Amino acid sequence: MDKLTLCIPTGRLKDEAIILLSKMPSWPLDFNLNSRKLIFEDQSLPWNIILSHPKDSSTYVEFGVADIGIVGKDILQERGNEVYELCDLQIGICQMVVAGPENLTATDLFRKDALRIATKYPNITRRYLQEKGLNADILYLYGSIELAPVIHLTDAIIDLVSTGKTLHDNKLKIIEELFPVSARLVANRISIKTKMESIFSFVQQLKGVIGDE
Amino acid sequence: MDLVLGMKDTHPQEVLKKREIEFKLRHLFSSWGFEEVETPTLEYYATLQKVIGDELKERLFQFINREGKLVCLRPDFTTSIARKYSSDLIIENKTIRVFYDGKIFRYPSSPLRTESELTQMGLENIGDNSPAVDAEVIALAIIALQEAGIRDFSVDIGHVGFFRGILNASGYSSTLQQQLKTIVKTKDFIALKNFLEKNPPTEPMLVSLLLDFPFLRGKKEFLNDINNRFPRNHQFNNALERIRKVCDILSDYGLEQNIWVNLGLIRDFDYYSGMIFEGFSAFSGSPLLAGGRYDELFGIFGQDRPACGFALFIERLVEVFEKSRPDINQTFKSYTIFYPPEHRKSVFILTQKLRKLLRAVIAQEQNDVPFALKLSDGFKEYTWTDLNWDTIYMQIQEVIKNG
Repeated sequence: MDKLTLCIPTGRLKDEAIILLSKMPSWPLDFNLNSRKLIFEDQSLPWNIILSHPKDSSTYVEFGVADIGIVGKDILQERGNEVYELCDLQIGICQMVVAGPENLTATDLFRKDALRIATKYPNITRRYLQEKGLNADILYLYGSIELAPVIHLTDAIIDLVSTGKTLHDNKLKIIEELFPVSARLVANRISIKTKMESIFSFVQQLKGVIGDE
Repeated sequence: MDLVLGMKDTHPQEVLKKREIEFKLRHLFSSWGFEEVETPTLEYYATLQKVIGDELKERLFQFINREGKLVCLRPDFTTSIARKYSSDLIIENKTIRVFYDGKIFRYPSSPLRTESELTQMGLENIGDNSPAVDAEVIALAIIALQEAGIRDFSVDIGHVGFFRGILNASGYSSTLQQQLKTIVKTKDFIALKNFLEKNPPTEPMLVSLLLDFPFLRGKKEFLNDINNRFPRNHQFNNALERIRKVCDILSDYGLEQNIWVNLGLIRDFDYYSGMIFEGFSAFSGSPLLAGGRYDELFGIFGQDRPACGFALFIERLVEVFEKSRPDINQTFKSYTIFYPPEHRKSVFILTQKLRKLLRAVIAQEQNDVPFALKLSDGFKEYTWTDLNWDTIYMQIQEVIKNG
């Protein structure tokens, strides 16, 4: 079988992903990815591994430098990468939500004349507003999104929420849940043909570990 | 001066490679009895709108012309060729074999991408719906990739009947069928699983079949293993029988090596009605060629005619060729002759003779080489001070022979 190149995101998802992968029968014992290296190509490994920024793994897979990869559904929705989504890893679970100040209701929010929304997900936000038939300025921010309504930069935010603690600490609440988010296994559309057997067996092993099917 | 967003200039080196491939393919298609045809760059939106899918509609270059009508830059050739031959008065039972080579225009899927203008070369066989024509078209696709110098490629063959058979057995309303089609096209198998749990099909075997869709691929023998996995209806039976026949013919041609059966294959264009296929290489993230049978397309334009064809993406062939065969250096020597202006007349006669022997000869007047003729091939220089033209011609022939 052909050797696969697997893309694993760094950051929060990495640890959870590695716990999952290390339960797979083909994962080598006493192997860890804790060095500062970003590429692991070793004869003894069943796969080549690339570590990527969490937002980049689906792009690596789309362009075929990795055959398969792990990526959050939020990134797939935002980027619209042309890849196969093969299974739900049930890790990195959270929600994409609209959130705003505690005293704000959905009706009040949608009635505002000059609506402003802060987000790290401009495409998801634009689609959401279009579906709602709303016109709003989208402020594309890089960090501390939850700060925006607190300092009256925007009326609301569209962002990921896992425990809701950050929202609570900033006196914000969920106004609407958009969609559930979790990590997905994705595959390149050419690799899934040229390396079908390897990808199929990887998916079977992984599904066994997740307890899917 | 800015380049228009999404457009690109092509350097001589790359154009040369494109033309080499086009030259070989033009020769190939002609030698199989296909004639080259041209269609206009513009088509009415009203023509395209009848046949192309919603995703592609969003990616059309369109504008209003002088008549006040909505026109588009062609997004493919097949639609234009179907328009042409469905309005032509054609003698019944006569098969039309044509090929084309030109630019197509589609906005890229993301504004950050550049692929807006692509060279497509392909062929169509109109008027014959036999499996032999399907096989001939696929055979030509394979030979075309070989002629273009592509190694290690695969051609996946499928049939729209497999998915239509599934839709038929699902017991779904047309709305649900449309939803299922969209989900399968977006290749999101988690969404597919959720959809199937929410809307259980009347035929339960469809669930595992659909979830396995990317993995329904194998060599010809694979067709023997699928009988009990698919719902048995006429769409399935017809598709299976057709694919078998086509594969048998291709085996007779000795072309089975590059061929795979892929029952989960789905094409973006909605006009395909029978066998479909796609060619790709591990060196490109996008298909190198795509095609199939589209017997229903002519019907939409008001005249029922079976047809089958495919198109190659020339730029992708160049890309794969470059990546997979870095050993082949395709630069060509060009020769330059520097001469004093007073010998213009003789040098013109000489260079015209040389151009019959060499790929490129540049003649350049030069005042600072009085009474001398200089020849340069980019590496070495040769000089003559005794301007005997017959001797020079003979000596240049020697130079060419020696390297």
